[in-house]
Formats: sequence, structure tokens, C-alpha cells
Amino acid sequence: MNKISMTPGALLILAMLTACSTAPKSTTMLERTRQQYQMAQNDPRIVKLAPLEMRQADDAMVLANNAAHNNQSNEEIDQFAYIASKKIDIANETARQKSAENRIANAGKERDEMRLEQRTQEVNREKAKTSDAVFLAQLADANTQQAQQKVDLLSAELADMKAKNTDRGLVITLGDLLFGTNDARLNPDGMHELQRLATVLQAHPQQTILIEGHTDSTGGVAYNLQLSERRANAVSSALQLMGVQKSRIATYGYGEQFPLVDNSTAENRQMNRRVEIILSDDAGHIIHRY
Amino acid sequence: MLNAQFKFSPWLELVLTTTSFVVVSAIVFNLTGCISLQTPATADVAVSTAEVNSAATVGGAEYAPAEMRSARAKLVQANAAMAAHDYQAASDYAAQAQADAKLAQTKVSSTKAQQAAAALQEDIQVLREELNRVNSNK
Repeated sequence: MNKISMTPGALLILAMLTACSTAPKSTTMLERTRQQYQMAQNDPRIVKLAPLEMRQADDAMVLANNAAHNNQSNEEIDQFAYIASKKIDIANETARQKSAENRIANAGKERDEMRLEQRTQEVNREKAKTSDAVFLAQLADANTQQAQQKVDLLSAELADMKAKNTDRGLVITLGDLLFGTNDARLNPDGMHELQRLATVLQAHPQQTILIEGHTDSTGGVAYNLQLSERRANAVSSALQLMGVQKSRIATYGYGEQFPLVDNSTAENRQMNRRVEIILSDDAGHIIHRY
Repeated sequence: MLNAQFKFSPWLELVLTTTSFVVVSAIVFNLTGCISLQTPATADVAVSTAEVNSAATVGGAEYAPAEMRSARAKLVQANAAMAAHDYQAASDYAAQAQADAKLAQTKVSSTKAQQAAAALQEDIQVLREELNRVNSNK
């Protein structure tokens, strides 16, 4: 009793000390919650995307701070701090949700745009295919027409030369009358005929020719073969003299192998004695007899 | 007469009256105190129970298992406090359970939204690759 009454000053100091140390009263949980709150406040995403939830967290934080300020019990402070902490969590989670929802909105738009792009490309490809096909068809058509026109032109030019349009192409037949009898040399009529052919050939430089010599069955096979070759060569030489390049001319003597008609009459034999000139297509191709 | 039979001295009467008043008022105060805390505590626990159940319905166990466990534990404690007539504690536990349940609900919708966003993003990635592939094959 005596001892206690002797230390009122010490008691006072102790009371003041505890008052000082507990004046900014807090708990571990409150401190943690304050830090959590600070972080949330500094997170622009939360402030922007979860303003309502953040206000509720603000209110809860105020309650917790007030409890500490009013020196309420640790349990009471922790109670408010716990609620505040959860409200901050909710604000945080809401911000994440909103952010995801924004991504969904944007992604949905992006996906639709890409689908549209894909569809557009498909359509364009189809269109391109179609127009390609149309173009190719037109081109083919134009080529055919052009080719036809050329053939027509050639035919017209060679018409006076009695050019015949056969399976092998245009064929000009130089009759026996254009050559000397049993002679490989062309007579003036033959030269005249060849001159017209040479003019046509110069106008169509892509065409090549095959000159075939033919005879009737009179005389020996070897002689006829030789004669047919000589006549073919004579025509070739004449054309070269008239300006047709040698590289465009091929010659062949067939002798009596390919008569036009049977050799029973003089008239027929005269028809079989001939030189045929076969004109190539535009690419220079000639269909040979064998 | 009754009054005549039990006649106390004026002093004693005063003391008795005062005492009974104090006792009665204390009892009344206590009762009203109990009732004033019991009613809101009952409501708090009911609301929290509803929140927890609602969180469970939307998939809390799958998407926010920790929050759900915490909420249920708090509910158990709230109910125990109710049974012990500790209504303040019951209200506190109920409030905590409710906060947990609300967080669980938010986590559920947040996680679902994030999963949907990721799925869409993947969709777009596939589409983009497809577009690039088609374009490069042109």
C-alpha cells in the first residue's frame, strides 16, 4: 500500500508512455490493408475500371482507420480492416473483369473484321479466277481468230496458185506443165508461179515449207526418185534465188511412191508428175507423209 | 390490510424501491440490449448465408475455392456465436463471410471473362494464321 502510494509519478509517466505508443494505434492486419489500399489507389486500371468498387473500399478503409483512431480494440480494428481488405480485392478483381470484357469486345470486333477480310479475299480469289478464265478464253478465242485470219489470208493469197487446204495444211501443187519434159528445170510459167509463192512466204516469215517431188510410174524407180529429187531441189533453188532463206526450205523426192491417181492414162500420169509445196503452221511445223 | 401488516420503515422502503428500480431497469436494459443485437445479427447471418449460397451457385467452388472455404468457415463461426448469444461476434463473422462471398462472386465472373477473352484471342490467332497462310499461298 505504502509502495504504491509512493509511485504516483511513475504511474503517470507509464500511462503517458502507453498513451503515446498507442496513440497511432494499429494492427498488423490494418497495416497490411493500408498497403494494399495504397497499391490499389496507385493502380490507374482499378481507378478507371472499378470506380464504384473503389469507393466502397474507400468507405471501408475509413471505418477501419476510424476504429484505430478511436482506440477501439484490436478485434474491432481487425474486423473493419478485414472487410476493407476484401473490398479492395473486389475492386481489383472487378478491374480485371472489366479489362477482360474490354478485350472481349475488341477481340470480337477484330475477329469479325478478320472473318470479313477472309471472306473478301475468298470472293476476290473467286473473281480473279473467273476473270482469269474469261481472259484466257478471250485470249484463246483471239488467237484462234487471228490464226484463222492468217490462214484465210494465206489461202486468199495462194488461191490463184490453187493452194488446197488439206489435213497437212496448205498445199500448192506445181503441175508437170511448169517443168520441161523429163527436165528438172522450171519453165517461165513455173518461175512466175514460184515468184508469187516467194512473195507470200516473205510476207509470212514464220512459215517454213516442205517441197516434195513426185513422178509417174513411167521409167525406172531409181530414175524417177532422182527426177523427183531434182525437181524438188530446183524449186528450192528458185525460191532461194527469190529471197526465201534456205533454212525455211526442206526438200524430199518421193519418186513414184505417192501417185495422185492411177498411172493408166497419159492424162493421169501427167497429174502424178508434180511438185507439192506444203506450208507449215505458224510455229514452222509440217506434217510429213511418213 | 396488507399495507398495515407489512409496514416498513420509510428508510427501508426507499432503499428497497431504489434497488428494485435498479434491478428491474438493469434487466430491462439487458433484455432490450439483447434483442437490439439479436435481430440484426440474425439478419446479418441470413444475408451472408444467401450470399455464400449464391456464390456457390455461380461456380465459386471451382473459380474461387479459397474465398469459398473462408466464407463457409466464417458462417460456421457466425452460427456458433448466434447459438452462444454472442450477437456482436455473430454479426462480425457474418460480415466477414459476406465480404468473402462477394469477393468469390467477383472472382467467378472475372475468371470467366478472362477465360472468354483468352479463347477469343486464340480464335483470332488461328484466323490470322489462316489468313496469312491463304495469302502466302496465293
